[in-house]
Amino acid sequence: MLLHTLNRPPSSRVLDQALAGMGPEDRLLLIEDGVIGALPAQRERFAGVAGRLYALHEDLAARGLLTRCDDAVRVVDVEGFVALTETCERTVSWY
Amino acid sequence: MTEDTPSAELLVILRHAPHGSSWLKEGLDVALVAAAFDRRVTLLFMGEGVTALLEGQQAGPLGQKGTAATLEMLEMYDVDSLVVEKRSLDALGLSGDQLMLPTREVTEAGIAALVASHALVLNF
Amino acid sequence: MRYAILLLDAPYTSQAAHSALRFTRALLARGHDVEGVFFYHEGVHNAARLAAPPQDEPHLVDAWAELGRGHDVALQVCIAAALRRGLLDEQEASRHGKQGFSVEPPFELTGLGQLVDLGLRCDRLITFGP
Repeated sequence: MLLHTLNRPPSSRVLDQALAGMGPEDRLLLIEDGVIGALPAQRERFAGVAGRLYALHEDLAARGLLTRCDDAVRVVDVEGFVALTETCERTVSWY
Repeated sequence: MTEDTPSAELLVILRHAPHGSSWLKEGLDVALVAAAFDRRVTLLFMGEGVTALLEGQQAGPLGQKGTAATLEMLEMYDVDSLVVEKRSLDALGLSGDQLMLPTREVTEAGIAALVASHALVLNF
Repeated sequence: MRYAILLLDAPYTSQAAHSALRFTRALLARGHDVEGVFFYHEGVHNAARLAAPPQDEPHLVDAWAELGRGHDVALQVCIAAALRRGLLDEQEASRHGKQGFSVEPPFELTGLGQLVDLGLRCDRLITFGP
């Protein structure tokens, strides 16, 4: 199980690259502008990683998106980010 | 729970076209250095990165070197595992026989498998 | 666990440097061993000793230096990427006949082989890009 991070918004083609690189158990953590993908209207784009999608608390909060985040997205703070990198064997960053 | 044990060492993913930025050059430099240190390296050309392999590239008007010459050196460094994303080739109307080096084409599932099978994955 | 960080963008250009710094601090706070931060591509600008951001903004260069000194984290800057971009330590400046220098310890100019070594030696390598 690998962790993938994505810092680009869902309009970016980098999202498709990240999804292509993900295995069936892998986790996806949205950071920086990537957290825009945590809005409920974007749920369809992330259907393939449902239940395995995380977003960084600090980056949501900084953008005023914390209360607007989709319930299905797991929100983690930076300690949670560290914990994900511990649990997952390796981390691949998409930017 | 299954642990995937990486079978290869370094996967360098190249996602940028030549000349427009230094991403491709600096990504290739990592691959060459790793190979020079006897690490097993796989290169994956993804997105616009597939255009790095087109024949007929030239230096830029100010003498910018580009990356074609570096790619030609790969064989000397024993980097022979070159993989291209088929979806990107198709999207640009290109085919494997137009490329300057022998490559293996992968589909989306193949990309995830490559990522899972390398101990270190660096995106450029 | 032994961690390494790879930072690929300049400070104040994208959020990458802020994210990398925050993540690195969180690693140390959880008791992990951060063996090195490697600065490559535009990330080499994080080593610019002359950076003078406004006082009400985080001083990223100083923050990296503090982290390097205080926690024994190697701050490794790719020498080829740095020299091209005008980032030279005292020794390189003198070698190239330049007055003044733009990189100082605890940042150290080093080869790309160090990045490969860090990445394969540490348990985890986390990349922050633009």
